Amino acid sequence: MDRRQFIVGAGALAGVAGSRAAQAADPVVIGVVYPLTGNGAAVGLDAKAAYEVAANIINNTHAPIGVAMGQGGGLSGLGGARINLVFADSQNDPQKARAEAERLITQEKAVAIVGSYTSATGATISQVTERYEVPYVSADNSSPSLNQRGLKWFFRTGPHDEMFTKGMFDFLADIGKKTGRPAKTVALFYEDSIFGTDSSNVQRKLAAAAGMQVVADIRYRASSPSLSTEAQKLKAANADVLLPSSYTSDAILILKAMNEIGYKPKAILAQAAGFQESAFMQGAGALAEGAMSRSSFAGDAEKLRPAVPIVNALYKAHNNKDMNDNTSREITALLVLADAINRAGSAKPEEIRKALVATNIPGSQTIMPWAGVKFDETGQNTLCNPVIQQVFDGVYKTVWPFDLAAKEAVWNVGK
Amino acid sequence: MTLETVMQVALGGLLMGLIYALVAAGLSLIFGLMDVVNFAHGEMMMLAMYAVFVIWSMTGLDPLLQLPIVAAVLFGLGVAVYRGMIGRALSVQFNRGMVQIFVTFGLAIFIRGAAQFVWGGEFRAVTNTWLSDRSLNMGGVYLPLPQLAASLVCLAAFAGLLAISRTEFGKALEATREDREAVALLGIDRDHIFAMGWGLGAGAVGIAGVMLAGFYYVGPNVGASFALIAYVTVALGGFGSMTGALVAGVLIGEIEAITAAVLEPSLKQIGVFAVYLAVLLFRPRGLFGKL
Repeated sequence: MDRRQFIVGAGALAGVAGSRAAQAADPVVIGVVYPLTGNGAAVGLDAKAAYEVAANIINNTHAPIGVAMGQGGGLSGLGGARINLVFADSQNDPQKARAEAERLITQEKAVAIVGSYTSATGATISQVTERYEVPYVSADNSSPSLNQRGLKWFFRTGPHDEMFTKGMFDFLADIGKKTGRPAKTVALFYEDSIFGTDSSNVQRKLAAAAGMQVVADIRYRASSPSLSTEAQKLKAANADVLLPSSYTSDAILILKAMNEIGYKPKAILAQAAGFQESAFMQGAGALAEGAMSRSSFAGDAEKLRPAVPIVNALYKAHNNKDMNDNTSREITALLVLADAINRAGSAKPEEIRKALVATNIPGSQTIMPWAGVKFDETGQNTLCNPVIQQVFDGVYKTVWPFDLAAKEAVWNVGK
Repeated sequence: MTLETVMQVALGGLLMGLIYALVAAGLSLIFGLMDVVNFAHGEMMMLAMYAVFVIWSMTGLDPLLQLPIVAAVLFGLGVAVYRGMIGRALSVQFNRGMVQIFVTFGLAIFIRGAAQFVWGGEFRAVTNTWLSDRSLNMGGVYLPLPQLAASLVCLAAFAGLLAISRTEFGKALEATREDREAVALLGIDRDHIFAMGWGLGAGAVGIAGVMLAGFYYVGPNVGASFALIAYVTVALGGFGSMTGALVAGVLIGEIEAITAAVLEPSLKQIGVFAVYLAVLLFRPRGLFGKL
């Protein structure tokens, strides 16, 4: 055998071996639908990076990470098969999202879909997956109505908006008990589009249930040039807790307007949104000090969630940003789905669905501050309680649930 | 409602109204001079605010000290926009009105997009200035110092605009406004007058932008909400009238504040537009309009 023959022969052998390995473990195709162009592209491109990081954690060989599927090396239940992500661009348009989901299932042979940022696109995608009988794992669609439609193939790993608000009121009850100084009155302050209005509806209901009096109920015009009269109304009401539902510019403006008239609320507890943006910190500066906000991610909870800094480092190396509220939920969604496929030991959608229904991942095996991942009969994860964070020296620190807290909450109500 | 609340609301309306008035003054000046509505007016104010932010973040120079610099830059920008675009748009043979509208409208969208490209969509703020976040407590009624300074500068700017109208140049401006064909025969360079008018208009909104940057956030869309109110202010006060812009600006500030206090804050623009429609119904030329 001369050298040339040897190389050809070796090549052929390698080819055979390669195809055998592939036969043993065909990659599992998962469709991912996000806005990759258009007005939601910034969020969508971050999401794409997050899913790629999650797929690398599942597929690559590396030191074990303390999350579900963190052992690496592919899906052991399917002979080490790899997860193969196929991305599709929804352009944040519900109709395009529907068409892309259909294409992913019929053309790309996706056995499950994950997505999709806005609730409007999540609604159409989950109709398609229901029709084709393929699981849809919602990472970050937060509208409460999505899991109330009797869908069999819909699973949401993250919280919906009512759970977020419930978390805020649970915190108020807990901190009242702990300090002996409960909040008795609240002021609602919300912008006049769907986000603020929906948020205030739930808050009004939960305040009544908690026996708190709503002393101000202020619906304001989003992006108004001035919020000085609104601030004066809040000052006159002087509630124990101010509950703002605002986007960034209004969040900055109301803090400035309240400060201008010499008013500092005893406590501010925000429905995230503008209050969680980095631009808010820069714009509001020292006025943001002590403000509280709900969040579904606690980047500072590494004591109880040692995987957080490891996964964050992987994400940062890939996308040059720290994980946030959205990207952490997206990584978690894919890990949960992969865990189900692995347990199913099959890439058949029906088997995956059964495994998803049986999912029971403890919080310690996630990067989230949640109690865990376990779906109810509507497909909603019931253990994904949000956290409350408070601004200390310009940085949000987790203050509740108390066992996850990085800092003790500063609570001035009743002092 | 307590007396303090009433006084605080009225004061807030007055302080904001004076800013509205100065934003509207530049718009009114250009319109009165040459019947051109500058749809990029709010964007010019936004550029002034970014100029303040950039100079402040690079040198730490207080916005108050930046006032002459940024006003001069905006004056230059106004002249350049006239020379480069508006003058040409005015020389088209037919459908001149439409061309003018689309030229300034396109300019507005371009400036907004360019700002987003250069500075990103994030909100910025100028912080830790001499006056920032400080208020004077007058027996329970608070007077925020940045807004007070802004109001005083606005009044001074109005006095300046009135003083200019008394000078030789001001008379040429007035004459060009009255009869743009006849002044050419008198040897007045119409193009020069128009360019100066654009410079003054942009300079005025630049001053408003500088003072606003001292207590407001800066972002690519910050001009839009002020521009809408400026158009209403100009129409309410009477096209081309400086006094009209001043009175209408304060009036709108007060109506806004009172509607928000008495009715619901989300309805405050409805209050403004209700008064606006009522005035135009009975006095279509506006409060101080001559036409």
